Amino acid sequence: MTELRFFEIYRSPEYLDLLVSGAATSAGLTLAGGMLGFIFAFLLASIRFWKVPVLNILAAAYVDFIRNTPLIVQLFFIAFGLPLLLGYVWPFWAHALLALTINFSGYFAEILRSGFASTAKGQLEAAAALNLSKFTLFKSIILPQTLIKMYPSLSSQFVFLFLTTGVISEIGVGDLTHAGIFIESRSFRSFEVFMTLTLIYIAMALSFKGLMQLLFNMTLGRRA
Amino acid sequence: MKDWFVELFGNPTGTIIFQILDASQLTLYLSLIAFIGGGSLALVLTIMRVAPMRWMRSVSKAYVWWFQSVPLLMLLFLCGLGVPHLFDIQVSPWAAASVALILFTSAYMSEVWRGAVESVGQGQWEAGYALNLSFLETLRKIIFPQAVKYGLAPTVGFMVQIIKGTSLAYIIGFQDLMLIGKRWANAPVPGSEPFIIFPLMAVMYFSICYPLALYARHLEAKAIQRT
Repeated sequence: MTELRFFEIYRSPEYLDLLVSGAATSAGLTLAGGMLGFIFAFLLASIRFWKVPVLNILAAAYVDFIRNTPLIVQLFFIAFGLPLLLGYVWPFWAHALLALTINFSGYFAEILRSGFASTAKGQLEAAAALNLSKFTLFKSIILPQTLIKMYPSLSSQFVFLFLTTGVISEIGVGDLTHAGIFIESRSFRSFEVFMTLTLIYIAMALSFKGLMQLLFNMTLGRRA
Repeated sequence: MKDWFVELFGNPTGTIIFQILDASQLTLYLSLIAFIGGGSLALVLTIMRVAPMRWMRSVSKAYVWWFQSVPLLMLLFLCGLGVPHLFDIQVSPWAAASVALILFTSAYMSEVWRGAVESVGQGQWEAGYALNLSFLETLRKIIFPQAVKYGLAPTVGFMVQIIKGTSLAYIIGFQDLMLIGKRWANAPVPGSEPFIIFPLMAVMYFSICYPLALYARHLEAKAIQRT
């Protein structure tokens, strides 16, 4: 067994700098992808709730396809396939953001869809009795109830998806994993580097979890 | 086999389809190893999690927490590069990928099964106690048979996660679908452009995962109907 030498990583300002900026990139892209993905997911789930003709089937197929293919294949298609096919040039991070948005949207849409469906049960009769329109019912009853009920699932799915974002390093985005691979190739301290990375990922995941709880307490939690 | 594909689709499309199909075998084997190995480990963890001894519950809880928190990619790097470097040993990509996926699978699967076991009413444990059954006998004869109906659908559903998880193994040099696909996409051969290869691979993964997802959905609907 070779000696553990964590300090070789920590005492180099260059490495620390890389780790910090990598973590910031990971966090930023995850948050942006999560938000955009949520907006798109909301659209998809609404399409399914309202049973918009044609779009309903397309939305269902899209969600199934995204959820049943690996993120890395989606990422490679978006980063290497699409630009070649359509002839555009984007920076690496933009490809990553698009891929994460699409990936996140599939998972969030499924959670929202099942939430809408289970909340709507029984409420439709109540709304008819109160003479509420279906739109009012959706906006003021189903939507808030679903968000409150599904918030824990959405939040833990978000944290789980954050832990999969390391693959964006494969297309050259300077995220946390990318920083780790670079430091490893320089220092040859594989175990120390990946252990450090793991701990940073866990700390970030816990922070995201806390952040989501805070967001809940500040918004939906007041209504519940 | 290969000639047959080439005859049917021409070159290089036939060769590509053949190689991708061929490599998807390895994806399936790796998934199976992860499922069987991870499942066995998960069974032990689940038993420990509900065991009467406190230290067992703590060990199981800590294990599950740790391996659910570590990103799969880091687990692969640690098993494929980190640990071999630390102990100065050679580890084949097969072994490293298997160990990483088994650890990943065991943590998630035992969490699913713990949920299933806890869905069985407390009264059933008391029934076992009244019959003078030991802890393991109660589990085997009373709790597990009833827990199956809660645990089956999410277990099948999790298999999709395992298969998708194997797509990362190529990063530590495992020669599966991903590596073949990436190699073709980089090759300057007309007909193997990335916008052809990656959709082809997505379809490949989808056709393995989707039937499982559908089956899980079916099982879930059946379980809801029964209750």
